[in-house]
Amino acid sequence: MRIAIGYLYPSVMSQYGDRGNVLTLCERSRRRGIEAEVVPLELGDPVDPDRVDVLLMGGGADTQQRLVAEDLVGTKGEGLRQAVEEGVALLAVCAGYQLLGHFYLAADGTRLPGVGIFDAHTVHRAAEIGARMESITAAGQVRAVGNVVVRREGMELVGFENHGGRTYLHPGAQPLGEVVVGRGNNGEDGTEGCVVAGAIGTYLHGPVLPKNPALADRLLASALGHRCGEVPPLHPLADAAEKAAHDVAVARALSGDRRSPVALRRRSGGARPWPGTERTARLSGPGARSARRHRPPG
Amino acid sequence: MSAPRSLAALRRATAVNLGIGAGALSRALGKGGGTTVPGYLAERLDPGLLADLARALPGGCVAVSGTNGKTTTARILADALRLEGYEPIANREGSNLSRGLVTALIGASDRWGRPRFTERSIGVFELDEGTLPQVVARVAPRAVVLTNLLRDQLDRYFELDFLRHLWTTGLRLLAPSATLVVNADDPHLAHLAQELAGRALTFGVEDPGHLRPIMEHASDARRCPGCEHPLEYAGTFYAHLGHYACPACGWARPRPDLVAARVELGPEWSRFQVEGADRPALQLQVPLPGLHNVYNALAALAGAEALGVSEGSLVAAVGSVQGAFGRAEQLRLHGRDVVLALAKNPSGFNATLRWLEGAGYGSHLLLALNDAGPDGRDVSWIWDVDFEGLPRPEQVTCAGTRALDLALRVEYAGLGAPTIEEDPAAALWGSLGRVPEGGRLAVVATYTAMWSLRQALVRQGHLPEFWVEAGAPRGLAAARGE
Repeated sequence: MRIAIGYLYPSVMSQYGDRGNVLTLCERSRRRGIEAEVVPLELGDPVDPDRVDVLLMGGGADTQQRLVAEDLVGTKGEGLRQAVEEGVALLAVCAGYQLLGHFYLAADGTRLPGVGIFDAHTVHRAAEIGARMESITAAGQVRAVGNVVVRREGMELVGFENHGGRTYLHPGAQPLGEVVVGRGNNGEDGTEGCVVAGAIGTYLHGPVLPKNPALADRLLASALGHRCGEVPPLHPLADAAEKAAHDVAVARALSGDRRSPVALRRRSGGARPWPGTERTARLSGPGARSARRHRPPG
Repeated sequence: MSAPRSLAALRRATAVNLGIGAGALSRALGKGGGTTVPGYLAERLDPGLLADLARALPGGCVAVSGTNGKTTTARILADALRLEGYEPIANREGSNLSRGLVTALIGASDRWGRPRFTERSIGVFELDEGTLPQVVARVAPRAVVLTNLLRDQLDRYFELDFLRHLWTTGLRLLAPSATLVVNADDPHLAHLAQELAGRALTFGVEDPGHLRPIMEHASDARRCPGCEHPLEYAGTFYAHLGHYACPACGWARPRPDLVAARVELGPEWSRFQVEGADRPALQLQVPLPGLHNVYNALAALAGAEALGVSEGSLVAAVGSVQGAFGRAEQLRLHGRDVVLALAKNPSGFNATLRWLEGAGYGSHLLLALNDAGPDGRDVSWIWDVDFEGLPRPEQVTCAGTRALDLALRVEYAGLGAPTIEEDPAAALWGSLGRVPEGGRLAVVATYTAMWSLRQALVRQGHLPEFWVEAGAPRGLAAARGE
């Protein structure tokens, strides 16, 4: 048995160790005697839904996101939508997740069109409050950075988030899970990520798959389903090392969370900079209020 | 000594005394070298302290920044200046935020915070990448040396492009007479120097024998900084540092002013020839291993040239440089050779793995990963390290608060299931026990993990405390004894 893993933009969108997700699917396939082939899909390469069984996309900076957004609209978008419709599994992390929504409003106010696989849109926090980021400290105040724990029916996921964009799910869209520790989609509604058929969008780096083997196997099962027409039973792996790493990361996330709110309050003189008020030293600018919320059209 | 009488002077005196007192207390309690606390407290109380003291330095100051190599580069530069007859005031302890600079400077001031510099005093400041942009305008350096700009601790620096943008903005405030010293092999830095259009001095490596035809996975300079078209690389030496050109707009690596050629890499040293227009070739030997240390020595050489330091002083300084905290420190423990290497980002880790293997240290590895603030709370980066394709070691031991993450990474790379021992010190003794007598153990650790490992070795008398070795307390001791 074999599957093909489409690795989206390996050279421009793999900034946060996200290739670990590719390595994990390969390793978990190998342990089950499934042959996994990695198909790199760089800028300019189209997506052929018959050629891939699972698609992986990682994070990247704003500059790379612009290039990728152009490529998604011009080259890959149609193939991606069709692939998801035909049951190809997909995992998009952070910037990848943002670009597969309806649109992404970047920090400088540029509106990047999305592919629309996820019924959601994303606004960079700096654009939302009209802030200019002139130092690492200022940027830190608009970003969600830290360990994340997400609960999903029968599954606990752990990872690390690091994003300036806030994602808003549209009515009816299914989140990946609810946030236990961290900010998730937007720090307001307690949701994290989005799920549509076999496609999963999430802010979880870490990378997410090595320490969350259940999620990895869900993708693998969907991939095999696409390849074989029906989902064959995946025989369970030992996963003692994976589960131990997961538990340690969860413990770190929980202990860190007890400390951080106090530290945040102390730094910002009473106001919690993220999420919530824009009352922070260097975070003011024209249009701070009017740009506060971008609702989806319609 | 007459006391200045004004509220501002009183505040300054309080700030300085509070800082010095806290430093002494920290040392007395064995809490560390007190390299951060004095400056932190003094600066909180008197934010103008840094600019006033730094600008009063008769020899001015030089700033060294970049992702990797800044501590070693700044060390060589300070030593060369000392040999040249200067009296460098340096934050040699690696405390490289503005508070570390203030600690160094109040060590050379009186109790009123008035400088007690001599006419040969000069500042040599190692600066954190995120701090550089804000500090440049305050300390008005004569020269800024930039070693490289690589993917590092994204939980602190967020995105490389953003840091690059901050550098460009911050460095625009350099005085027109100041020299920007940059690594021409880093496309982002070469472009930055051209964009700023001030005085620039570039350095680079030109030795086809060491040019590798591969890009590391973590390479971040794949596209032209001008037109964003993919760059074409003839090859790379280390991380994304190499020879490149843009096929679309024609922009290419500038011919460096100072070139390292005929590079030879030994197990514990590196050697090269410095070449440049209108200068006789110069042989340099660095008693530190790896191509990354060739870059460090070359960066220091270029910095020294910008400051008018003689070649003789530089050659002597390079020849006697010692590894900084956890940088290729070698020791003999219970009949085994042990090397300590700090690695905190993918490119540094890759370079370390490469020279360890070349130096015969590849068969027993102790890898320690912590996720405290100085290490980076996000451990995702270990998946950007190119473990794949390494020859399978006889032993891998994983330690640190995130030992289990590291163990997965190592196992998925096909290097076998590692031994896990969370406490770094216990892991050191454990892994050492698995090395045969006369064998070699390589220890690669992140910052705080290296700290606890070193402390365990210091307690047993195998290593000196790092601030004693670094010669840091001189200024503070003098201040205390006045």
